[in-house]
Amino acid sequence: MIIIANIFAIFRKELQSYFASPLAYIVAGVFWLLSGLFFWELLLSPTGLVQEVQAGDATGLITGSTDVAYIFLIQFLSVIGSLISPIILPMLSMGLYAEERKNHTLELIATSPLTNWVVAVGKLCGVLTFYTVLLVPLFIYQIIAFSTASPPVPPAVPLLANLGLILLAASILSLGMFISSLTSSSMIAALVTFFIVFLFISLHFISGQISEPFGSILRYLSPVQHYDNFVRGIFETSSLFVFLSYIILGIFLTAQSIETLRFNRS
Amino acid sequence: MIEVEHLSKHYGSTSAIEDIVFSVAPGEILGFLGPNGAGKTTTMRILSGYLPATTGTARIAGFDVHEESMEVRRRIGYLPETPPLYEGMTVEGFLDFVARIKGVSAGDRTTRIDWAIQRCNLEEKRKVLIRKLSKGFRQRIGIAQALVHNPPVIILDEPTVGLDPRQINEVRHLIKSLAGDHTIILSSHILPEVSMTCDRVTIINRGKVVATNTPDRLLAQLGEGEGYELEVQGDATLVQSLLQVIPGVQSVTVTYPMTSKSELGETVKNLDSRADTLRDRSLIKITCIPNTEPGRHLAKVIVETGLGLCEMRRSRPTLEDVFLELTTQEDSFSHDSVSQSEDREFITSETQFNQTEEE
Repeated sequence: MIIIANIFAIFRKELQSYFASPLAYIVAGVFWLLSGLFFWELLLSPTGLVQEVQAGDATGLITGSTDVAYIFLIQFLSVIGSLISPIILPMLSMGLYAEERKNHTLELIATSPLTNWVVAVGKLCGVLTFYTVLLVPLFIYQIIAFSTASPPVPPAVPLLANLGLILLAASILSLGMFISSLTSSSMIAALVTFFIVFLFISLHFISGQISEPFGSILRYLSPVQHYDNFVRGIFETSSLFVFLSYIILGIFLTAQSIETLRFNRS
Repeated sequence: MIEVEHLSKHYGSTSAIEDIVFSVAPGEILGFLGPNGAGKTTTMRILSGYLPATTGTARIAGFDVHEESMEVRRRIGYLPETPPLYEGMTVEGFLDFVARIKGVSAGDRTTRIDWAIQRCNLEEKRKVLIRKLSKGFRQRIGIAQALVHNPPVIILDEPTVGLDPRQINEVRHLIKSLAGDHTIILSSHILPEVSMTCDRVTIINRGKVVATNTPDRLLAQLGEGEGYELEVQGDATLVQSLLQVIPGVQSVTVTYPMTSKSELGETVKNLDSRADTLRDRSLIKITCIPNTEPGRHLAKVIVETGLGLCEMRRSRPTLEDVFLELTTQEDSFSHDSVSQSEDREFITSETQFNQTEEE
């Protein structure tokens, strides 16, 4: 009960700090601008999906029916998940602990009756909630796109895809939080986190070029691969397991890195 | 309530503190005094559980600060060297957050926050963002943050830094009023603060405890320094031998003239109107055997020899002298902020004797 109350206290503080921070609004603005542009580009622009399918129909190149809504979902969420979020997420996670160190508030947190993992979980929940708030307009885009689809899109598919997006974000934020706990410079935290995310994405692409069984191992470890599964509407427990592993790993490492402060600081 | 035993902390090869031993009884206020860099903050951090000690143990309310950190954390309020504040929060919001993480129950929270805000004089800034507040307010929020959960032990690292004299006074009264119910340890490099608020003082220098006692007893230890300082018109070197034989007088030193011509440039002379006057005055410093009061005889001798007695004052060792004696073996440091006047009595002669030695 006390644990829940503590997590909630940290969560509340963290979420408040995003809404009070000008940087968070800039990040939100950039995120919404980019996602809006891609929504238009993928769906409505002259080279977009709608035009393409219409042109295909007219010239008879495409036979049978095309599930535009499904293709849009895959393309849109792939872009959001592996192009825009990797830029945005490190900027959200960078200050989680680095700012606490810089403002000497870590001394308050570390001398309060809170366990380190409680603080880490609270912080992760806070930042993840803020990211989810950023996704709200994207949900609206998707609803707009699917409302015109015929036959109607089964709601499970986009729900699973968006759940995948949030799980991917949670994994990246969790590791970003760990990086942030290692330094008092938000900038360094953001750069290192960005590098790690970049590594994940390249792992995904490199894995195809590498001989087995290493390719499969890399593919299995790459969160991007599992995200793709979610987006395509494939639910595998193993994918969920990988995401949860990353999240728990991040929280664990963060708690440990803060714990070491108590043992070794010179 | 607080027991510190043989605490040492090394940073690489340099040691910040070395074999620190002290204890604080329940309800007592202990002042932790030392020049900057003496290891005060390191000790405070170890007590709060933020830093581990290299060797030695510290216990608060019977719990080891390192091994049973959670139990200790529940019982302490801690103001670090830099007040830990979230700039984006309001004063009230911040204290609410601290009350939550310190485990104040939902029912008591409002009362406790109101109490802390009122005691630290933060009412007018209640709804203001911390970002917009000055150093003095931030320091007071730092103190409020350490008190909000009503902890039995309060650790304050330089609580009055950045406050103006009136606020310093208020904070001292606040701290004094908390004694009894709370055990308090506060660090400072300002002497009057410690001598006025604390029941006992531990002086540390270069990481080592050099003295622990009540402020009065520390003064008594250095009682030999007691004496007089006299400013007289004319050359007092002539009366030195006369003063020397007065019962109770231990030693006499005379400086004549008080300021030499060569020391003073034209500009200084113009600026300092006293410069001319001082040139034909002597400064006599006399140390006495403890508990003898040769003051009257001294004055009599001076007046009878025809020297004009301009000022006579008792020079008592202050806590500051104790502090300086204990802490300055090798290095000197500035202590501008220390006010000199507190423990001294001034006896300035009302009547000027306009006699000179020629007459």
